[in-house]
Amino acid sequence: MTFWGVVGAFGTRRAYLKKDMDTSNAGYIGSMIGAATGPVGLIALWLKTPETRKSLLVVPPIAAFALLAISFAFADPSNSCVTNGSFVASQISNGIILGILYGFMALGLTLIYSILGVVSFAHGDFYMIGGMAAYYVTMVWFPGVNPLFGIGFACVSTFILGAVFERIFLTPMYDGRIDRPVEYGILVTFGLAFTLQYFIAATVGSNPVKAKRYFDFPRLHWPSKEDPWLLKTRRGGLELFDTITISNPRFTAAVVCIIVLLMLLYFLHRTWTGKALRAVSLDREAAAITGINPNRMNMLAFALGGMLAALAGALLVQAFSWLPQVGAIPAMRSFVIIVLGGLGSLPGAFVGGIIVGLVESAGTGCIPDPQKAASYIPAYGGIVLLLTLLLRPTGLFGRRFSGGSHGKFG
Amino acid sequence: MSKQQVPLIVGVIIISFLMIFPFVYTANNYPYVMHIMIAGFFYAILTSSWSMLAGYGGQFSFGHMGFTGIGAYTTALFCHYIYLSPEATNICTEFSVGSQYLVIVNPIGITSSTLVQDCLREAMSIWDGSVKVTPMPVWLGIILGIAMGGLFGLLIGLLVLPLRAAYLALFTLGFTEILRAVISSELDITRGQAGLELPKLFENGITIFGRHFDKTDPLPPYFVMLFLLFFCLGVLYWLAQSKFGLFIRALREDQDAAAALGVNTTKYKIMLFVITSMMAAAAGAFFAHYIGIISPNNLMILQMSLVVSMAVIAGIENIFAAAIGAIIIEFTLETLRTSFDVPLIGVEVDMTVWRLVIFGALLMITLRLSRNGIIAPIINYFLRGHVADETVAKRKVSDSSEESA
Repeated sequence: MTFWGVVGAFGTRRAYLKKDMDTSNAGYIGSMIGAATGPVGLIALWLKTPETRKSLLVVPPIAAFALLAISFAFADPSNSCVTNGSFVASQISNGIILGILYGFMALGLTLIYSILGVVSFAHGDFYMIGGMAAYYVTMVWFPGVNPLFGIGFACVSTFILGAVFERIFLTPMYDGRIDRPVEYGILVTFGLAFTLQYFIAATVGSNPVKAKRYFDFPRLHWPSKEDPWLLKTRRGGLELFDTITISNPRFTAAVVCIIVLLMLLYFLHRTWTGKALRAVSLDREAAAITGINPNRMNMLAFALGGMLAALAGALLVQAFSWLPQVGAIPAMRSFVIIVLGGLGSLPGAFVGGIIVGLVESAGTGCIPDPQKAASYIPAYGGIVLLLTLLLRPTGLFGRRFSGGSHGKFG
Repeated sequence: MSKQQVPLIVGVIIISFLMIFPFVYTANNYPYVMHIMIAGFFYAILTSSWSMLAGYGGQFSFGHMGFTGIGAYTTALFCHYIYLSPEATNICTEFSVGSQYLVIVNPIGITSSTLVQDCLREAMSIWDGSVKVTPMPVWLGIILGIAMGGLFGLLIGLLVLPLRAAYLALFTLGFTEILRAVISSELDITRGQAGLELPKLFENGITIFGRHFDKTDPLPPYFVMLFLLFFCLGVLYWLAQSKFGLFIRALREDQDAAAALGVNTTKYKIMLFVITSMMAAAAGAFFAHYIGIISPNNLMILQMSLVVSMAVIAGIENIFAAAIGAIIIEFTLETLRTSFDVPLIGVEVDMTVWRLVIFGALLMITLRLSRNGIIAPIINYFLRGHVADETVAKRKVSDSSEESA
């Protein structure tokens, strides 16, 4: 299967080149058809070389994935992923919840990319700062305060931090004072990540901290107290259909993320500033002509993107223990997600987040050796990243001819 | 003496200083200082080869540490699992090579008890000392490590051909992450976080000029690393000022324009990746043998960020500046491992953690104020001081004409 996938990736490009056709998706289609159908489908594809259609982009990967799942099921029939339905259901729900959180974080990164054309390497550290700020407000400075204040403080402080950083360090990118702005952006955000991480390590120390649960569920039993097969809640978690358990912090975080996402969508589509942001991401110069100041939008995008990461951190500090290095893993996941979803695409970030969440929970749940499965977690994301970059660098929803700056300011 | 000769003279002074330093320095902390110097050379090799890749070629790869790890792990696994034995063990996988047997030891992973032994140890306990097993020579492992680094460099170079800027950075980052996850997960073979032990560079000591050096003596590894650094710098300098250097700089400025003018961009990009990753692998292999243990933490993004920051602070577009900067920064970072009291407030400041904060801030400020780093402009001032004005003036003119157009 892998072999035919590789053959498809290279051979199809050849076949399309020979007929002088568009090859931008040829490798992707070829590898997927090769993986799903083997030589039969490949030869048919090479002979016919159909035009790139939507069905061609969607059906083969699903078939390949189904084949993979079926062959997995036959290879290891006693695996709990195959036999235990409720285990699968809880893994899927877990994956979706994680995916929402990942996607939310990646949303900030992709927002920054769509406006500035820079992948912010400090994204994970904004996440870490957000968590730390929320922890300090709710646990250390004002114990017992409403957690909303903690979350609010995290958002405001990182928004200001992002804005100040952008004003001081990113402005030289815009007016051609720097030869290669994309590389400059990568390096300078890298420096920010380094500084922030060690600044927190120096001031807070490297003992893990954790905030208290923000919010207790009320006790609910539904439909009846004796037989709550539909929904049962405890203070620390809830249980759906007797099978799926979701812990309270994750559930709250996911719900808040969805609410904020809706607010963000409203902001981007219904307010002047949001429309201006989207306009700049589509076409910088045209936006400037209509009276939008693109450089102001740069600042807003960077601050807003950092704030979204910090919000994710502030929501998750009640679920995980927090260290100065905690940002590295979510940052890596965000990179994977935005590449998978298409750099600069907002819906792509969210869908990509859910896909990555599902892949990770499938990987951890289904690989027989649990210890290996856990330590391979970083690799799943990496594999998704490499495959996407190799087969379809534009990602799922990537705009082929995207505007924005993409490093070409001024 | 003209201005252009100053860097040359300074270079000669630095080289002769590094050559005689271990013989004249006799303070108490001699082994410690020597260790820092060797680590400094290690970082200097990485930094200068990375500055070739990123500064000259414009390929912002975050996978340089991955190649170091490939070099180190190749030689570590080679020395750990392959032995030569004059007699067949009949338990292990083995091939006869001439009169000897090449024994491949079975991986047993980490065991707390001494009861579980790998097949070679079992065989040796049966032989009870009657057969002498020889480990493979260290230099062969290092050569294999370098070759493996080159191979992976070729692979990565081929894969990243269509990718630019941010995509390239993310791809190489993903590659390093996968490598690290694989190494730390395959406990049976690589022993994961516990690390893999390696024989020392000169396991039986070495005799040079009639003087015998113990295997723990820092002098031989010092000179090995120093000469490796000189060799790498020599190759890099030769490449940078040959046609190759011009081509890859053209590639950095505008790949399409370079291709249109007849530069074989594919070939030079791949060559660049192969050469620099071989250097990283060589540095990794030698340094791993010097340290004597390698663990997947050496591949962490933190290590990579150290290399990147050193290159940027010193000057990314000059290999010599990068090398000198790496040594100086490594030395400064080590000497800052102290704590001191702020006199007026009476607060104790632990520099061990704050030094990295300062380092990061320095990185950002250097980038912001002087894109070419701190050391490179000084060298340029002496070497090209007389041409700088002219080109800057030209650039100003062309800029203003572009704006008016």
